[in-house]
Amino acid sequence: MVAIPKDYREQWDEEGYIILEDALEGDHLKEIQDAFKKHADAALPSWIEGVRSGRRSAGSFDIPKAMEKEDAFIDLADHPNWFGLIDEFSQRDPLFINGQFRTVPPNPISYVGWHPDIPYDGPIHPKMQIYLEDVGPGEGGFAFIPGSHRREKGPYFRPQRLETMPGHREFTGRAGTAILFNGYGWHTSTINRTGHPRRSVILIYEKWNENRHDPERHRGIAERLTPERKRLFGVTR
Amino acid sequence: MRSERQRKAWLTVAEVLVKIDAHVHVFSKVTAEFPREANDQLPAEDEAPVERLLKTMDDTGVDRSLLIQIGGTSIEHHAYLLHCLSTYPERFLGIGRIPDDVDDPVDHMDRLAETSGVIGFRLFGLGGPEPLQPVDIREFRTYPIWKRAAEMDYVIWLYPRSIDVHLVPFLLEAFPQVRVGYNHLMVSPGTENFQMENGRPRIETRMPPAHRQFVRGMSRFENVRALISGQYAFSNEAWPYADLRDWQHYLARLFGADRLMWGSDFPFVTEEYGDEAGYGGQVRLVEEVYDEWTGEERGMISGGNAEGFLRFK
Repeated sequence: MVAIPKDYREQWDEEGYIILEDALEGDHLKEIQDAFKKHADAALPSWIEGVRSGRRSAGSFDIPKAMEKEDAFIDLADHPNWFGLIDEFSQRDPLFINGQFRTVPPNPISYVGWHPDIPYDGPIHPKMQIYLEDVGPGEGGFAFIPGSHRREKGPYFRPQRLETMPGHREFTGRAGTAILFNGYGWHTSTINRTGHPRRSVILIYEKWNENRHDPERHRGIAERLTPERKRLFGVTR
Repeated sequence: MRSERQRKAWLTVAEVLVKIDAHVHVFSKVTAEFPREANDQLPAEDEAPVERLLKTMDDTGVDRSLLIQIGGTSIEHHAYLLHCLSTYPERFLGIGRIPDDVDDPVDHMDRLAETSGVIGFRLFGLGGPEPLQPVDIREFRTYPIWKRAAEMDYVIWLYPRSIDVHLVPFLLEAFPQVRVGYNHLMVSPGTENFQMENGRPRIETRMPPAHRQFVRGMSRFENVRALISGQYAFSNEAWPYADLRDWQHYLARLFGADRLMWGSDFPFVTEEYGDEAGYGGQVRLVEEVYDEWTGEERGMISGGNAEGFLRFK
């Protein structure tokens, strides 16, 4: 059972994020961890070659077309432990954009700077990051500026050193913890100073809109989707 | 915004700033006196003599240059570079090379630097693990080189390949005292897109490069300078390489006017290599690209920064 804050609506509106401890747990967490490792290991040589050729960055590594490879990954898109929140924050009309199954190697710099995902006048853009292993301080956790999803709180500027961004919060958590956040808000991945990569799943949603509706985006899994999921994934209108 | 009066004052300052080309190559034909490697880029009969460079510099108002070793990595292969440095010590400083398989890189570095104007060394590969492998910089093949550079105040002239870019921040963090000049717009070529065209490098790469976030991250290390050089190799357009303007300005925002250095990559930018804008075009490039900046800022990129960072004084 997910530990949902009592006043999550207020938290979402005021702070722009919600922490879901144990969003994944037990055997289900292990199933996702194992599937992630299997497919990441299989895709690694191709990614290394991409880095060597100059087509890919060594900063982070995503399993390509992950949902085509594993039904358990598809099931994350409308997982009952959080989909109610996604539905609520997408004004009861969510569009699942994409899932990123991401590995972040240790490095003295972050693979991404501070940024919002979408301008304030764009469609609401809920996004969730699920840690697949314990993430402590300095271990490459997600960071967010509480309240930065609200236009009146800005403007924000990109500092040369990520850690000097005023007012930010770095999120630690054990494996299975998820951070649901508003894509208007400024966020980044902090520096991973451990000796091991940090693995997580990032699920990206938006309020359903024609501009982002792309029936080809998830064509590779369309036959495996229920009618409800076809609408969620944008395969149908 | 500065007033017009202030801008004119800055331009006056710029006119008296030294102009330094921070990335040039000279080489002789292969001779007994000046042995070097011969290959497709540098056939044995080709030459770019220092006298030609000096005349080009004088014709275009360039005061001094940093000579980057080309044509081999052994001590013997540096004969022409050392000759140029000893003959014209008032005009040049130099960057040497180190063989990947040398037994004692520290001895090699010290031998080249002790009696000449060699102030540092150019590195391509870093000799570390592939991405996602455990990283211990003490295990890098080039760790002794960085360590010696820190001890002796040598410059590292860096042009890593894309597979090695992820290793650079580890070294920058470990050696904050080492002066690092990151070559050619901080674009690190990959294996599939490097070729020779008209006797000079041609690198088909998307811009911004895939490793742009590493470039952003590396700007936090104050010992790093970005070279505004090598445009001809990356651009799909003729001078002034308008398709690179966004990237050139991105570098400027990251590093500021005081951490950029201009270099021409002579002789590969001359008419001899089919470059219509020629060396003169390179000399004017900073003014063209950073046209909204003050004369002083452009002067810093065109030589003022190199004078201090490379210690030309």
